[in-house]
Amino acid sequence: MIGYLEAVITGILLGGLYGIVGIGLSMVFGIMRQVNLAHGELMILSSYFSLLFVHLMGLHPLLTLFLVLPIMFAIGYLIQAFLFNRVMQETMEPFLIISFGLSIILQNALLLICTPDARSLKTGLVIMSLDVLGLFRIPLIQVINFAVGLLVLLLLHQFMKKTYLGWAIHAASEDLSGAKLMGINPKRVYCFAMGIAALTAGISGVLVGMTFTFYPHSGTQYLIIAFGVVILGGLGSLPGTFLGGMILGISQLVGGRVIGPGFQLLSGYLILIIILTIRPQGLLGRR
Amino acid sequence: MRLHRIRIIIIALLLLALALIPFWASRYVENVCLLVCVYVTMASVWNLLAGYSGMVSLGQQMFVGVGGYTLAVLSMYYGLPIFLSILVGGFISLLLAVLISFPIFRMKGVYFAIGTWVIAEALGICFSNWGYVKYGMGIFIQPTQKMSMSTIYYASAVICVGSLFLVYLLLRSNLGLALMAIRDDDVASEMMGVNIFRCKLVCFLLSAFITGVSAGVLYLNTVFIQPFEAFGIGWTVNLLFIVIIGGIGTLEGPIVGAVTFVILQQFLSEYVGYNLIILGAITIAVIFFYPRGIFGTLQHKYGMALFPIRRD
Repeated sequence: MIGYLEAVITGILLGGLYGIVGIGLSMVFGIMRQVNLAHGELMILSSYFSLLFVHLMGLHPLLTLFLVLPIMFAIGYLIQAFLFNRVMQETMEPFLIISFGLSIILQNALLLICTPDARSLKTGLVIMSLDVLGLFRIPLIQVINFAVGLLVLLLLHQFMKKTYLGWAIHAASEDLSGAKLMGINPKRVYCFAMGIAALTAGISGVLVGMTFTFYPHSGTQYLIIAFGVVILGGLGSLPGTFLGGMILGISQLVGGRVIGPGFQLLSGYLILIIILTIRPQGLLGRR
Repeated sequence: MRLHRIRIIIIALLLLALALIPFWASRYVENVCLLVCVYVTMASVWNLLAGYSGMVSLGQQMFVGVGGYTLAVLSMYYGLPIFLSILVGGFISLLLAVLISFPIFRMKGVYFAIGTWVIAEALGICFSNWGYVKYGMGIFIQPTQKMSMSTIYYASAVICVGSLFLVYLLLRSNLGLALMAIRDDDVASEMMGVNIFRCKLVCFLLSAFITGVSAGVLYLNTVFIQPFEAFGIGWTVNLLFIVIIGGIGTLEGPIVGAVTFVILQQFLSEYVGYNLIILGAITIAVIFFYPRGIFGTLQHKYGMALFPIRRD
């Protein structure tokens, strides 16, 4: 029984990490109605950036966020300005293909520069753990992931509610021509939105790097997790993303406990398919 | 009428060229042609889904895996004849498609794409944890009767021509008209009495069967099957590349795309490490400059068509 409780609690914590993995993807869909297949690669790219700064300056991985995040924002802004803005049409295929081409390029460039070896952002945090009522211990890093995930969600929510840029982003996604008439330049707004999405990818990349090992091709694996999370919650819904993360996290860990550790991912996918069969638009998604 | 005759002559010449390849070509060239045939087959049925029926499936690799594994298991464990095993592989893919059609057809657009991908990933995990198919280590496929390269090539060519013909017939039938109506406006077509579910199901099942069979032929040539490769997204990625480069929503696009893709792949294989980067860059460039793809652009500009689908 305690084993299951442990699985559920670790699952919730893992869900916090998954939520932030998916949040950028969800934002881009909510705002532009497009799917960014390079999201996973942007994540892994920032893991490598963080690794670079750790090696160069001997910083703690969490401190490298201050360097990684501006870089990721700039990358997101630039790829939207030079690549994606050229294919913002009604249909989804051109955007899909462009982001897909970008993901292949990033993945193989990383493979070329950083070799296929497994890397991780080593810290003392990995071996520390918290005692839960004397029943079992949970790794401290998971608690940090969850806390950061929740913080990012709240900040993003406040940003969209309170700032002028947030309103502009909202307006451009709600009614494009209306927003244009009010003097909003949608292409610039999209650039900022993609920058913010890349920034969240940056945060999740550093957290994932601190929690697990990563390779140049890890992006695909996280892309599918991001998709799972986002689709469970409903595309474009920020709270839904967090909920989706927790459902995926819990179903992976509890499923792994029931069937066996080799089936962790599988049980997550099964729950995903079952939920989508019952609610094809996701849990909190609108039709 | 004259145009019609020219078309028939071109098609006949192409068929003749396909049939004559084993008589003059080296083993290497034959292998390349086999790859082209298999990719044309898979890409044209993917195009039927994505380009004509509005179902962008990212899960075609599940049929590749199932077709390949059926061949491996039946021919290696039970000693069944090769071509029978391949055919059974197609039918098992078909069965799989029937089974998943209930949940998957409730989803639309992106949800459909991701749903199919997740199912393929789940199957990959199942196969890599399944002792019967030797877990993630994979199986060697060594047929009891030795097959010549030419036999395998002819099998792929026959499947390729057959499936192209089938897709052509299907698109010219009433079903084809209904499909294009659904793609352009699903609500309006349903009002006019089109049974959307049935039309989409027919395409999905057909694509599953043909992909499964042609994967069997491909694995006959590859000789080794391993779950993460067989159920990997890489297959659908290649198909996407082929169809986009060639021209989505045209029957000839996948042919042009597959030839381009295989030649590029062979040419770039010398530059290990850079080849996929170049492929990615080419994809982006094509979308920017020729968003309709190679054949789509030609068709748009000059009204060219080798297999006219419109009835005139």
